[in-house]
Amino acid sequence: MSTRTDAHSNQVVDNPREPFDVNDPRLSRFDLVREGARRDDIEIVHYEPQFPPGSRAERRIVRTVASIFLLVGVSATAFVVAYIWWPWRYEHGTGASKYYTPILGLTLGIALLGIGFGILIWGKKLLPKEVSIQARHDEPASEEERRLTGNTLLYMVDELGIRRRPLLGVSLLAGLAPVGAVAAAPLVGGLIQQPHKNNQMFTTGWKPITENGTTRLVRLTHHDGTPVRPEDVSPGGQITVFPGIPGGATNKYADSPVLLIHLRPDDAAAARAANERAGHADYMWGNYIAYSKICTHAGCPASLYEQQTNRLLCPCHQSQFLITDNARPIFGPASRRLPQLPLTVEDGFFAAKSDFTETVGPDFWERP
Amino acid sequence: MTSDTPGGARSRGLLSRLRRARSSPRSKARRRLGAAVRLLAALTLAGGAYTVFAPDLQAQETSQLSAAAQEGKALYDTSCVTCHGRNAQGVEGRGPSLIGVGAASVEFQVSTGRMPLARQEAQAERKPPVFTDDQIQQLAQYVQELGGGPQLPEGENLHRGGDPVEGGRLFRINCSSCHSFGGGGGALSSGKFAPSLRPATDRQIYAAMLTGPQNMPVFGDNQLRPEQKADIIAYVQEVLAKDRDPGGFNLGRLGPSTEGVAVFLIGIVALVFAALWIAGKS
Amino acid sequence: MKRRKLDMAALPGRAAREVDDRLGVNTPLRSLLNKVFPDHWSFLLGEIALFSFIVLLLTGVYLTFFFEPSLTEVTYNGSYAPLRGAHMSAAYASTLDISFDVRGGLIVRQMHHWAALLFMAAIVVHMLRVFLTGAFRKPRELNWMIGYLLFWVGFLAGFTGYSIPDDGLSGTGLRIASAIMLSIPVIGSWITSSIFGGEFPGEIIISRFYIAHVLLIPALLVALISAHLGLVFKQKHTQWPGPGRTNSNVVGERMFPRYAIKQGGFFMIVFGVIALLGGLVQINPIWLFGPYEAAVVSAASQPDWYVMFLDGSTRLMPPWEINIPIGDGYVIPPLFWPTVVLPGILVVLPLAYPFIEARLNKDRRIHNLLQRPRDVPGRTALAAMAVTFWLVLTLSGANDVIADKFFISLNAMTWVGRIGLIILPPLAYYVTYRICLGLQQHDREVLAHGVETGIIRRLPNGKFVEVHQPLGPTDEHGHGTLEYVGWAVPKKMNRLGALGPAIRGFFFPIEKPVEAPVSPGHPPVEPRSERQEVGSGGSR
Repeated sequence: MSTRTDAHSNQVVDNPREPFDVNDPRLSRFDLVREGARRDDIEIVHYEPQFPPGSRAERRIVRTVASIFLLVGVSATAFVVAYIWWPWRYEHGTGASKYYTPILGLTLGIALLGIGFGILIWGKKLLPKEVSIQARHDEPASEEERRLTGNTLLYMVDELGIRRRPLLGVSLLAGLAPVGAVAAAPLVGGLIQQPHKNNQMFTTGWKPITENGTTRLVRLTHHDGTPVRPEDVSPGGQITVFPGIPGGATNKYADSPVLLIHLRPDDAAAARAANERAGHADYMWGNYIAYSKICTHAGCPASLYEQQTNRLLCPCHQSQFLITDNARPIFGPASRRLPQLPLTVEDGFFAAKSDFTETVGPDFWERP
Repeated sequence: MTSDTPGGARSRGLLSRLRRARSSPRSKARRRLGAAVRLLAALTLAGGAYTVFAPDLQAQETSQLSAAAQEGKALYDTSCVTCHGRNAQGVEGRGPSLIGVGAASVEFQVSTGRMPLARQEAQAERKPPVFTDDQIQQLAQYVQELGGGPQLPEGENLHRGGDPVEGGRLFRINCSSCHSFGGGGGALSSGKFAPSLRPATDRQIYAAMLTGPQNMPVFGDNQLRPEQKADIIAYVQEVLAKDRDPGGFNLGRLGPSTEGVAVFLIGIVALVFAALWIAGKS
Repeated sequence: MKRRKLDMAALPGRAAREVDDRLGVNTPLRSLLNKVFPDHWSFLLGEIALFSFIVLLLTGVYLTFFFEPSLTEVTYNGSYAPLRGAHMSAAYASTLDISFDVRGGLIVRQMHHWAALLFMAAIVVHMLRVFLTGAFRKPRELNWMIGYLLFWVGFLAGFTGYSIPDDGLSGTGLRIASAIMLSIPVIGSWITSSIFGGEFPGEIIISRFYIAHVLLIPALLVALISAHLGLVFKQKHTQWPGPGRTNSNVVGERMFPRYAIKQGGFFMIVFGVIALLGGLVQINPIWLFGPYEAAVVSAASQPDWYVMFLDGSTRLMPPWEINIPIGDGYVIPPLFWPTVVLPGILVVLPLAYPFIEARLNKDRRIHNLLQRPRDVPGRTALAAMAVTFWLVLTLSGANDVIADKFFISLNAMTWVGRIGLIILPPLAYYVTYRICLGLQQHDREVLAHGVETGIIRRLPNGKFVEVHQPLGPTDEHGHGTLEYVGWAVPKKMNRLGALGPAIRGFFFPIEKPVEAPVSPGHPPVEPRSERQEVGSGGSR
């Protein structure tokens, strides 16, 4: 067939003098495909089978694809068999059940990969190579068209007559604005919660309990609720303690966990001197000192106590606090010292003399 | 032959005799022999005086120690005394006092090979132990008898009857912040670290909790009762060490950091290779 | 009664005719079947993200059948013995049930999480490809913006997703998120108490995260992805310059069957890789983390990798607090800058980049052809700088793990991160710029002097010269006259005229070697006469 190149889009087009007859019996199916593509502005420029049909190479690839699909079948069956019959219930130690998930993953993965590879080898190796060219036709609309559309849009404003009847426009805006608020109000309003209800951001579970006119101090307890005595912590030791109130060790009082540390004598002396300087004169009890465990940077529990350097390291962002100097931050992104809990002992058990005198946990705008 | 002489008066005489000796060559050999004999006599005198007058610490201690402790003392005097002092009182800048650390401390430090320390650094590291188990027991006995301190219970299996559920709860609140949820260890400040619990035996874990080695806090039997320690050891040894991960290869139990590396190194690399194969570089 | 014989062969044709009578789909369908897509491996990176998203939807639906998004406290009584009898939230307990008491639940959970990590990784790699090749230029600025927003919406999807099991690791992350919200000036405490329903942690946050994660965010993702793909479809994909390719055509393959086969096959491969990862490599072992408790934390606590750059920026930030001494005093904590201001800048700046670059280059043309990264050294160096900045932050997010495993002081790692963040990006910019210039120079050199053949010849005067093969006609000085056209210059003899190996076949050669083709990797344009046209096998 004679061809010429279209100068604008680099496409090869048929001689336009010969009209295309769809019902012509001499045309092959591919000719019809090519003509159909041409009417969509797509020119199939090159189309060539990769092997002569029936050649040895083609048979080899067909065999490869077939064997891959068979492997898929085997693997998928293995998946179903393993899923149903392989032991999977948890058992301690090592056992066949520990391989349940890996076996499922392996069989499923092989099956899926096999489908993928089979299809791809079929498409890449067995289908004829092709190069097609399609014109983009992404030129913007002509100025004339744009003018027509622009005026259509503007005429809508004319039809609505808002310019001639300003009262309509004004009343529309004035009326709709409050309706917007009506839609937003329940959604936002229902969600909004006052942050300082019950002064909750400045109170923790350590606040002494006042009932029937008497005030009771809150005891320090272990994780399981039993109260802590000074004899329970050796020098150089530390223990996490919670307020001795119902639910004190749960997340209900997430701002209350405290680290109780029994310092060695010279460290305790340094800590006591630092306390005096900071106005926390009698916060310690003997050589025991207690700080809020909630890091003042981002709220993780600062738990890594190094008993020789007296540094408390928070594992989240590596802030380090010096226990013997009011837990002031000496490294890392924290900028505020940990609040200290004033300690006392009553009836042989540790108790908090009062709530913390500084806000606990991460900082916020209105923190004084 | 040097010209070092003991006293001023004698030196004058000796010097003058030496000066005279230079002018008469024939008596030089006899002069030399005489000097040697005099030197030997002076040394014997000095040595004997020292032996008589110097304070003799060894003799009094040895008589009060048990047999095992005496063996331990012999080991101590060769391997430990440089940094910890002759009476385990410690040496400034090199090693702390061992008075009161107890047999448990010694067993922990020496059986994990941390002691004898290879060099002064931020933290002692576990390495192959230098001493045998018997020697470790002897060293421990010596230090125990020297200054007292915490001791380990008997037996190799210290978690018989321990409850791993309770142990897990205690582990998470007391231990995981430094040693990580999987017991793999973690970094502390300035080059220190909490080591992995994987190579530790029951006795080593118990001893570490009891004695608080280096920067680890002390978890005495008053704070974590022996049953609670058994629970924790049961969790570490039975659940963390022996319970195989059900989800496949655990990437070191280091959390999302290794998972992120894996998704790029395995997932993206494999898929980019697949993309290269599918579509080529045209 | 005479029964009409049913002609099976004509059935599809008759059915199609009926459909077209009603819907008029004939011609649009044919143009869809014939639509041409350009072909390059780097165009498949976005599809990794698309296919991962589909896997996320499938596995996610399965998980919603078993998960209970509630913070009500329960006592665990399932199969996992080391936690039996422990108190935990219903959310955590149901996740344990999925992992240990639902047959095959663990692999679906792991596939879901791996697909999420892969989704984000593919977005980053795809974004980098689009940026480096200039595919975001006019008319595709809108698509760039949609794609960039997809990263952040995916970020939120991942964050809400790994937080809803309420385990120790993600609960700690949630605590940090509440601290980040608190740090916002003026409204911070209001935002936090409104979202959490009170002080941290409250009773409602998991349910709210759950509905965000399974409904609101996926709906947004589906909408954005549809818009993203729709724009690619409408504007047609960009293509590399090369033989036959212009700014106003698309050279490649037709959609059906070959391009669709490639897409389907690649989907299966992505799915297969996710399945292999999900089964063979453990991820997010929540049973080892324990339930979230405010007093408990583990060493080596990190968020998922795509959030780790924020963790790094938080760790590196110095403790600079701003105190405002008015009234009772107000404070802007140091956490505000690396976690609110930095992400804010990171969201806005790249969104505006296509317009910034067009303004700087005074470029208002439509671009459908891609640029090789070396040909735009300024942009490529900028990308290297951005990647270095991001990489320093991400690695600093894991600096405690790195410090522990590589025996480096933790404090030193923090300082290395702080200083590296300032010094390394400009260094990367400079080095990348010089490398691009060097590569450009090499291209021009080969165009001028030809390909080095490796054949050494001795001239009569004794001098040794290497023989160069010119790429085209040369002028009187022996220099090549070919212009650089923005595509790869062949630099080895076996790439001449082919840009692909001369002999096809990987392990064994395939039949006859090809002749010199026109288009890279494709055989010659004119079909040889002895070959037949391929039909479907049936007659017309």
